[in-house]
Amino acid sequence: MKTNRPYQFLLKIIIFALIMSGIPLPTILLLASPFWILIFYVYWIIFFTAKGRLFLALIIGLLIDILHGSLLGQNALALILSSAFIINVKQSFYVSNISTQQIYVFAASAIYLLTFLLIHILIQGLDFSWIVLLVPLTTSLFWQPVKFILTKLRH
Amino acid sequence: MKSLKLFIPVFISIFLILSDYKFSYLDNFRSHAATLISPIYFLVNLPSQLYSWIDENGTEKDILLSQNKQLNREILELKTTLQKYNNLLLENTKLSKLLDSSYSINKEKFTLAKITSISQSRLKKQLVINKGSNDGINNGQAAFGPDGVIGQVIHATPLYSTIITISDPTHSIPVKNQRNGVRGIARGKASKSNQIIVNFVESNQDIVEGDVFVSSALGSKFPQGYPVGRVISVKTHKEDPMMDIVLAPIQSTNEIEYLLVLPQENED
Repeated sequence: MKTNRPYQFLLKIIIFALIMSGIPLPTILLLASPFWILIFYVYWIIFFTAKGRLFLALIIGLLIDILHGSLLGQNALALILSSAFIINVKQSFYVSNISTQQIYVFAASAIYLLTFLLIHILIQGLDFSWIVLLVPLTTSLFWQPVKFILTKLRH
Repeated sequence: MKSLKLFIPVFISIFLILSDYKFSYLDNFRSHAATLISPIYFLVNLPSQLYSWIDENGTEKDILLSQNKQLNREILELKTTLQKYNNLLLENTKLSKLLDSSYSINKEKFTLAKITSISQSRLKKQLVINKGSNDGINNGQAAFGPDGVIGQVIHATPLYSTIITISDPTHSIPVKNQRNGVRGIARGKASKSNQIIVNFVESNQDIVEGDVFVSSALGSKFPQGYPVGRVISVKTHKEDPMMDIVLAPIQSTNEIEYLLVLPQENED
């Protein structure tokens, strides 16, 4: 879909995604909570046509790294790789039904999580809560409501 | 061309990861970038601030009155305890003078800060407070709750600061056993949100469940004597000269709303 202001819309949804990820949650829910930024960015990649999507993923990832105090580049690399996957399957994603789209989102968030955990394990060893492995599942479950809300907002 | 589009941002990210992990020259960039994006913190935090404002304003008058009574009673009790403490302090100073000892107790000046809601990193245990370098908070300062040590400031921007808690696996704090002075280094565990492990304690040392470890002044980041954790498990191994000690943090970070930040000793 072509729109006159894809970057303005991206800015708005990224701020909204940051607000979503800033909601205080109990530790277990926080660990299993979806990758909000990824869901919102996937939506933007699929429904908007713009240049420099991977560089934007780099900038947004760095923003998260700074906000969360993570290693600089950790979230950035994870977001770039998962965005590259979504860009690769964009045509198929766009025409798929919601269940297939959820599988694509699951795969993208699994790439995100694997990259993120790989860097964590290389630096700190195999010391993390196994609940985080649920994140691809929760991310894919939230795809449908997020898509619905963002489509309403876009119009 | 397509693979180049992917390769360049991937290369930049890997370069940043390695640079940030191995060297410290990106610290300045991070600090400036964090200052630059401070308005985002403000914006992200706005809904939770609004919620607490509504919550505070919606509290009924009789609840406020009963809270006020309870707080007055607590102040009275604390003032009484403080009198005993002041007497002990005076006695300690006199004895130190008599013994010609250089040991002294500092009268610390704390900065009170409110914990904001954004600390949502999955693998890091951090808190964000509403005070920053404008309020005299700097990197490295120690943070305390009413029951004990909370952590240390790792990033201070003009408007807010990030505190890494003692239960984060990348944070280490020198500790000693309150009962017998056995020293070790405590650090968090990523897989268990409410556990701290103590390293470098030899197997022949006297540590039992229920012992309390307090901060020791080694490294001078933390003042000595503040509770860190209570021993919940002690294990020794035949082949390992060090014992495995697990603590439960005395100061829980889930329930507190405010904390105190202590200036470093050399800042006076």
